[in-house]
Amino acid sequence: MKTKKLMALTMAAVMGASLLTACGGGDAGTTTAAAGGDESGIQPVTITFWHGMNNKQEQSLTELTNKFNAENEYGITVELVNQGSYSDLQTKLMANAAADTLPDMAQAYNNYFTDYVDKVVALDDFVKNDYPDWDDILESYRTENSEYGKITGVPFNKSTYLFFYNKTMFDELGLTAPKTWDDLKHIGEVIKEKKDLAAIGYDSMCDMLEAALRQHGEQYVDETGALFNTAGGLETVQFIMDLYNNGYARLVGEDNYFSDSLSNGMIGGYVGSSTGVSYISTDIPGKEFELGVAPVVGDVKNAAYNAGTNLVMFSKDANKQKAVWEYMKFITSKESTLKWAMDTGYLPIRTSAYESDEWKNFMAQDITAQAAYEQSPYGFVSKASFTGSNEIRSVVSTTLNELITEKADAQTALDTLVAAINDVLE
Amino acid sequence: MKSRKPMAIVADIVKYVVLIAGALFTLLPFVWMVLSSLKSANEIVQIPPTMIPREFMFSNYAEAWAEAPFPRYFLNTVFVATVTTVGVLLTSILSAFAFSKLDFPGKKIIFSLFMATLMIPGEMLLITNFITITKLKWIDTYKAMIVPWLANVFYTYLLTQFFSNVPDALYLAAKVDKCSDLKFLFKIMVPMNKNAITTVAILSFIGSWNSFLWPLLVTNSTNMRVLSHGLVRFQSEAGTKYQLVMAASCILVVPIIIVYLFLRKYILEGMSYTGVKG
Repeated sequence: MKTKKLMALTMAAVMGASLLTACGGGDAGTTTAAAGGDESGIQPVTITFWHGMNNKQEQSLTELTNKFNAENEYGITVELVNQGSYSDLQTKLMANAAADTLPDMAQAYNNYFTDYVDKVVALDDFVKNDYPDWDDILESYRTENSEYGKITGVPFNKSTYLFFYNKTMFDELGLTAPKTWDDLKHIGEVIKEKKDLAAIGYDSMCDMLEAALRQHGEQYVDETGALFNTAGGLETVQFIMDLYNNGYARLVGEDNYFSDSLSNGMIGGYVGSSTGVSYISTDIPGKEFELGVAPVVGDVKNAAYNAGTNLVMFSKDANKQKAVWEYMKFITSKESTLKWAMDTGYLPIRTSAYESDEWKNFMAQDITAQAAYEQSPYGFVSKASFTGSNEIRSVVSTTLNELITEKADAQTALDTLVAAINDVLE
Repeated sequence: MKSRKPMAIVADIVKYVVLIAGALFTLLPFVWMVLSSLKSANEIVQIPPTMIPREFMFSNYAEAWAEAPFPRYFLNTVFVATVTTVGVLLTSILSAFAFSKLDFPGKKIIFSLFMATLMIPGEMLLITNFITITKLKWIDTYKAMIVPWLANVFYTYLLTQFFSNVPDALYLAAKVDKCSDLKFLFKIMVPMNKNAITTVAILSFIGSWNSFLWPLLVTNSTNMRVLSHGLVRFQSEAGTKYQLVMAASCILVVPIIIVYLFLRKYILEGMSYTGVKG
């Protein structure tokens, strides 16, 4: 984390200096979608796309891209460039933003470009003039991509947090997947008593906190600071601390992911990314079990945390912008998003794709897809378009871990969390 | 033949038991890596872990090998590490000689300035160096991976200390015999400090071999990437395929072992000289 912060500081300094020297240069540095929506006459061109997809995900992306390259009528060639993991991609984009050598397009979370959002091409005109069914894209993704006051991207590899559990154990104890906070407490009690195990764990503590707050009808964080220093916020934190203090939930520790614990029968279930299902082994000798997947619980409301990156455009050249847009339209089409989702375990980004026969057939065999579909109306995306949002994620996770280890009471936990978040933003 | 005292025998036994235990302890991570590379996906996450794989999955090696163009990555890594090491040795030896034996105006100030740069964290330089490389249009070339690392203040400092320990009398005597500076440096100074120089070479080679962020920043095409980039391809946002990481690591460690076998003597001597922990 320290590395990123230092680099961001350096970048801010470098970009500040370049602003000074470019004073009289007019608006050369600001990119606007001058070509927005005018798809006529795209000249043959090669565009560069930086991504952080590996293994079967990269394979599927390559297949889709090859299809686009072969079939588009304009002679557009999309060149895929693998930049390692998300964090490597983020670093690489940051450095190239400072050097003004960004690729034509890239995968990105909103918090990657808080420092250089002016270099992200606004897609509003493209969407308005040349995207027939924008409303078909799930609302939480549209909201996420409009956070900066302009449309900064189109949704791409989207996942959601689901409850993965040991169905064999649940059946044996007469339990079913929890739907409410009360169910969760009950399951915690039973599994603690009968098996002396924790019933639940969360792969990501900060996402868990935000989801719980939203389930309780509260708000989490925005650029002004923590928003949950309220009675409802205290109740939420109380609920969380009770889970841990009673031994119904436990922390992940050095493993980073609960998939290994679940595979070994060491926990009842856990909340983790829908893409993590391939890391769960249900066939370790002597520990075989049937896997269950369910939507995450709700309280006064349902709220499920959605994750995954969007595709953003950096190209300044009008012709290239139009070419990138053609590719973005292709990759977010119903057909592409379906293939992508079935190949990789990510989720479709369109309502029409969710409701298609192909997806229904797929869901019949895929319990993860089914659970994701069930909770898709409740999906939300964490606000990440303000400076500090990235750091808040790590600060909240670390603070929660410490509070749980110390078995803090709810009021202390709430005060500590609020103070830690507000510290970041000051 | 003189019969040995029982005490001496016991002492020997204790000595060897301790040594063998130490050796096993040191070997364990390596053995673990090899054994893990042969486990199946479900066995590698099993708790408690198994030592010997139930079934030897040699297919892990094929799968790991197919994930990235490792032979190309390997060549790139060897080339970059070798050229960087040779280059950094040349610059460090020459500058260390200048700082330790030559007299020139501003020597102390320049040396202090050199030292002062050690205080700047590498992350701060990353972006500015990157911008320089971009302006030079060196992106996606070997130059970009090698040139920024051709001078190293720490190695210069290290060698300066060693060279300073060589008595000035030797240098002056050589001068009297009409030996040129360069000749003195490479005929006398360098051989006398063989071990220190080997240490620098090894540190530089290992550093270059393991570097990840900089080569990633300055390259874009698969042809220019290095081995460390191949290893991260088994990680995703939801987990890591450890058995494949281990298989790839086993493949990658082979060349290092070969280098070690050849240079073993120098490495050990070099390490004991500088107190660098292996």
